[in-house]
Amino acid sequence: MATAQRFEGWRDGMSVWKTENASSGGTIVTAGQQGGPAMIRNDFRRNWKVYVMALPVIAFYIIFCYGPMYGLSMAFVDFKPRLGVFGSPFVGLRYFKEFVTGPYFVRLVSNTFLLNLWGLVFGFPAPILLALMLNEVGNRRFKRTVQTITYMPHFISLVVVCGLIRIFCASDGLINSIIAFFGGERSPLLADSSYFRAIYTISGIWQNVGWDSIIYLAAISGINPELYESATIDGAGRLRRMWHITIPGIMPTMTILLIFAIGGMLGSAHEKIILLYSPIIYETSDVIASYVYRRGLQEFDYSYSTAVGLLSSIINFIFLWFANAAARKMSDTSLW
Amino acid sequence: MVSCNLLITKFKGGLIVKRLIGLLLTLCMLSAVLIGCGEKAPTGGQSGDSSKDVAGAENTPEATGKQENGKGEDKEAESQTADPLKDPYGLPNDLSAYPLKDNPTLTYWWPIDSFQAVATKDMNEQEVWKEVEKITGVNIEFQHPAVGQETEQFNLMISSDDLPDLICQSDSYKGGVTAGIDDGVFIDHSEIIDQYAPNYKAFRESDEDRRRTTMDDKGRVLGFYNLSPYSEWMWLGALIKKETLDKTGLPVPETMTEWYDFLKKCQEAGYDNPLNFDASSGTVWTGLFCSAYGAQDWIFINKEGKADWGPIQPGMKDYLAEMSKWYKEGLIDKDFATRDYNSKMAFLISDACAVSIESPDTLWGTWKEQNNIDFVGSPYPVLKKGDKPTTTYKHWKNGGWPTSITMECKNPEAAARFLDFGYTAKGWELFNFGLPERTHRIDESGMPYYHEESAMWTDPDKVPLSHRIWKYKIHQGPFIREEHNSNPMLVSPGSYSGQIRQMWTEGTDASPAVPPTSFTSEESAREADLSTQLSTLRSEIFLQIIMGQKPIEEYDKFVETAKSMGVQEWLGIWQAALDRYNAR
Repeated sequence: MATAQRFEGWRDGMSVWKTENASSGGTIVTAGQQGGPAMIRNDFRRNWKVYVMALPVIAFYIIFCYGPMYGLSMAFVDFKPRLGVFGSPFVGLRYFKEFVTGPYFVRLVSNTFLLNLWGLVFGFPAPILLALMLNEVGNRRFKRTVQTITYMPHFISLVVVCGLIRIFCASDGLINSIIAFFGGERSPLLADSSYFRAIYTISGIWQNVGWDSIIYLAAISGINPELYESATIDGAGRLRRMWHITIPGIMPTMTILLIFAIGGMLGSAHEKIILLYSPIIYETSDVIASYVYRRGLQEFDYSYSTAVGLLSSIINFIFLWFANAAARKMSDTSLW
Repeated sequence: MVSCNLLITKFKGGLIVKRLIGLLLTLCMLSAVLIGCGEKAPTGGQSGDSSKDVAGAENTPEATGKQENGKGEDKEAESQTADPLKDPYGLPNDLSAYPLKDNPTLTYWWPIDSFQAVATKDMNEQEVWKEVEKITGVNIEFQHPAVGQETEQFNLMISSDDLPDLICQSDSYKGGVTAGIDDGVFIDHSEIIDQYAPNYKAFRESDEDRRRTTMDDKGRVLGFYNLSPYSEWMWLGALIKKETLDKTGLPVPETMTEWYDFLKKCQEAGYDNPLNFDASSGTVWTGLFCSAYGAQDWIFINKEGKADWGPIQPGMKDYLAEMSKWYKEGLIDKDFATRDYNSKMAFLISDACAVSIESPDTLWGTWKEQNNIDFVGSPYPVLKKGDKPTTTYKHWKNGGWPTSITMECKNPEAAARFLDFGYTAKGWELFNFGLPERTHRIDESGMPYYHEESAMWTDPDKVPLSHRIWKYKIHQGPFIREEHNSNPMLVSPGSYSGQIRQMWTEGTDASPAVPPTSFTSEESAREADLSTQLSTLRSEIFLQIIMGQKPIEEYDKFVETAKSMGVQEWLGIWQAALDRYNAR
């Protein structure tokens, strides 16, 4: 009896084949596992078009991401552009030592970390909440209008946004007018260290909540509507449905994005900070990137900034590793 | 049948139209990608604009030439030949080398920043450069990096093997031109100047400041700088709206006590926060206000001739106490620490502001021309009436912008002779005042001036006056600079900003000023590290004291912290550099 077998894919290291049989259509799981190179050869033969499509992407990563990594050795030499990376005099760990033993090191690291933590604690749930709320809205027109309005700020240039923030936070600005209306005293808000994190985080949320919620809305739309129907029949209210269906449905997306966010804890979008800060609020606003920027204005010190960048990246990677390990233990989703 | 065919064609047509639209959209997206590809020297697209420029330039001299045939011809003939001019400074004028035989061609890398770009996008089309090329007989191919990418393009060019013959602003090189010579990028210009640049050599060596600021500690000449026959005027100080003097009935303040009274009276007269305090680090960088207490803003030369640091001088504590008192009483703009440039300009023209710390050239535009606010300059204040105020600002007869010859130049003799032209009297006239008759005429004392019909005043393209310095003349480059008489902002009819600047320069003692020293490569990393730390510390503490967030006693802790950070070691580095400078 001629049975046509179609290769379906790999599951748990075993190949799965679907039989096209006149009498019984079904899936057969072959117990054998093909060896590595043979596996790839076979797959390549069948799906070579997909491999060809992936080729430019792989080339991109090799050329633009992995290739330039040799430049990291700039951190260990006193780099002079004319002599190149390998021709410049070797200085070893000098710049790392300089950075770590500087008087502001602890403050810089803690400011960077805290600013990102605030962004995580307040800025991470915000798009999720927005997506959940938008999902509950019945009126499609209203939903689409709200979506458009919330993701418009994302397209405003950062420089313009920071200019607006400065104007609003000035003594005669909008926010101070509101404070004065309620009987408070006017003061330049961007000159007070204790307000900086709030201003930075809130303005970040305002600008990005709409755009970031798109991915969650996309994930929600992938949830099977039958689940909602059966839940409603079983008597689940709106909040229950959200808790038991929607949130688990977008949990994989949330986990991946959370891992990314944790992997960025020691980096920061320093352009925004540089546009907003001033020496009087260095105490909470001076982060690693902005200090290195000021240092670089003196000297175009490629080596110093590469060293600091390398250090931050290593620490970020450690965070990422732990976050991923935790995610793997606690759920099915993880980066690797 | 027919209807069937029609249906099919309609369907086909719809499909074709859809496909066409799809194709067009794809092409649009692709072209958007290609725009991002880097632009080199402006070619096709730009030459369209610049050819209009050239056409305009060619029309006017012809027109004016025709009008003044009789007189004009004589004058033009006079200035075109190599007749030495009687200029007011007796500048060197050896024009024997020009025009160079065999018309060499040199490549010249010139960064055009956004300021220049308003007036000219391509020096190959700039009228003054074309005239200079004609007289010297040298063809110059200018190479311009994309506007806004000057630094990256400079470093890329340096790392490549394809260097041009001449590089403008060679001091962008990391470590200074001196490091560039060590690394084999630039030549040591000393010999080439001795042999082929007699005018530059003579002018450079005729003054100690000019001589020292154009060479390094090893005795090598670094390039062709934008030198000046005199120390150019200070351009920052306190400017008071004229109306406030009438409203308060007080004269222009000269001592710190008079300042306090004056600002208090301004406040009573309705100016809520009269002083626009442009001091984002707590002190004004020229030493305005703080120098009255004997404390300068940063590094200065003290009375023993040694390098010292202003922020740890005892007088600084009194200065900070006074400023915090002013801030508490509302005499200083509440937002001074957080304003950006636009916000500052908006505050200046508002009714809350009476005094500004700015450049009179800028305020001539912002206050007088745009808002009809007359203003006066006030001298730098002192504690006791009759004392002379001090400042750390001094112009060292050198405007920077060095042009250096690279090791790849095959014809350094031609390069040196070409650059030397800017230091002749003829070159001085051309670079500073533009083309004869079109832009300038010469008065009886030998000083050129912009006549009424000058292109500088009657610019047909309506380029803002402040930017015409790049269109009809050259503002900075390898030549002798004549700022006081050729900058249209200073000489425009009715302008008094020049008088204010002159008053400041002549009335303030600039002996604490530190000359432009250079560090060795070992010193410079350490210096940068300490300097960033001290600057962070100083700005933060000073601003907190002034704005009342920390009490004045915090100052003593600041001095302790600075000492523990290594301020003495840092001053030692500066002293060594200073000693080397004086030994040049």
